[in-house]
Amino acid sequence: MTATTAPAPARAAEEVAGIVEDLFTTVDGWRRRLEAHLEAAEPTARTLDPVVEEFAVPAVTDDPLITGAGFVAAPGLLSDARWHLAWWLGSPGAEVRRLATVDDETSDSFRDYTTLEWWRIPFRTGARHLTGPYVDYLCTDDYAVTLTVPIVVEDRFLGVVGCDALVDRIESRVLPGLRGLGAPAALVNASGRIVAATDARREPGAILRLDGLAEALAPLREAHPDAIDLRLPGGQAVRSCGASSLALVVG
Amino acid sequence: MPRSTGHRDATRSVVFAPLDDGAGRAELVERRIGDAIVGGLLRDGERLPSEAELSRSLGVALVTAREALESLRDHGLVRTRRGRDGGSFVTYDREAAARTLQARLQGHSRIELRDLAVHLSAIAGTAAELAADRASDDDLESLVAIHHDADLRTEGGARRALLRFQLEVAAISQSPRLVREEVRLQAEAGPLVWLCLREAEYRERTAVARTEVIAAIREVAPAAARSAVLSLIDDATGWLIDEKLRLETGDPA
Repeated sequence: MTATTAPAPARAAEEVAGIVEDLFTTVDGWRRRLEAHLEAAEPTARTLDPVVEEFAVPAVTDDPLITGAGFVAAPGLLSDARWHLAWWLGSPGAEVRRLATVDDETSDSFRDYTTLEWWRIPFRTGARHLTGPYVDYLCTDDYAVTLTVPIVVEDRFLGVVGCDALVDRIESRVLPGLRGLGAPAALVNASGRIVAATDARREPGAILRLDGLAEALAPLREAHPDAIDLRLPGGQAVRSCGASSLALVVG
Repeated sequence: MPRSTGHRDATRSVVFAPLDDGAGRAELVERRIGDAIVGGLLRDGERLPSEAELSRSLGVALVTAREALESLRDHGLVRTRRGRDGGSFVTYDREAAARTLQARLQGHSRIELRDLAVHLSAIAGTAAELAADRASDDDLESLVAIHHDADLRTEGGARRALLRFQLEVAAISQSPRLVREEVRLQAEAGPLVWLCLREAEYRERTAVARTEVIAAIREVAPAAARSAVLSLIDDATGWLIDEKLRLETGDPA
């Protein structure tokens, strides 16, 4: 074994945090580019879409984790489109395409996106948020997580910018680290939903039900979560993964 | 005799089965949209997607989409306006709609109808069962919201609520395959299976089923969630078969 400073669970947690942090850093870069355009007078969908396309298309084409990227405008922000999504999708073997949306409020297919978690929580907290894993049936039918960052300029909420990442790609990145822990390990979100696990009986998507786990994960549901490092009554160790809102359960 | 052809040929026959049910592509598109109009999912006067949009979203050739729209026009379900604000618009003609439904109902045998319900039960029941085990508090809230927003005054309103609820339950099961199958099956079987929603009594019945499913999910009771869904589909199928028999005995033509 090589000599290391951090114990194995801490390293595994850091690795997960790093993957999510890298994605948020990318999205933050997009946020800054968009802010510059949104500060200009009278933003319109017509002028904003090319700006979004310029970062979204390369992201879904080149970044192996990212399968969706874009900007969603606060209702009424753009003078030429009351409701507006500029979101691009890409997956291996398929052409990059723009998400088709219904912006007509009177249509039955219209979905008010301000009720969806990836909008609702950044709107309420003013902080970035990781939604999922969930089946994204409005978009691609994929099993994905969505990372969103709010755009707030002079106290005005202008929308969210974000990306989608496939859960199975995240799984293949984090599983080697989890397997090296020498005990059953699971990566869960703030609701206790399993993102990846080394144990065949803990399926991704299922809720991990352990004594005291729901209470232990409560801090992750805060906008700026405190670190978690504790032991459950059943002996399992719970450790938060940086500021990713995910946690590692070992044992 | 066919039984004696053995195991291997049964496998081959599945592999090389026709990719759709034998109907032409245009006919499938026409049936999908026609059913949505008749069932009230698309409203009178609503604008349909353009030929190009239809061809993209349904994954068919442009000429197929055009052919389907023409046929819908011939059946009086769609009208086309030319010009800047032109396009194809839903025309809900009660008589045309009733004829379409009657033809669909009579075109299926009782065995086919029952089988369709079995398939839908397998998918929707399993989705509900899994959802009961996998729902987070947020998921439950979204189901309750759909239930509260349901508009049971019309057939279309009841069907939209039912579709949204079933789809959300499938999504909560966390299985992309179940979601895809639920979407496909609701498009194919939904217009027939949910014909009973023309009657207020059955629209109320769907609300009862939703309450039961929500309660079962809240209590993490997978078997109860499944059984609530199955019993709704069973009631709907019962109505359908009664209606078919009534049509056939009451209207010998």
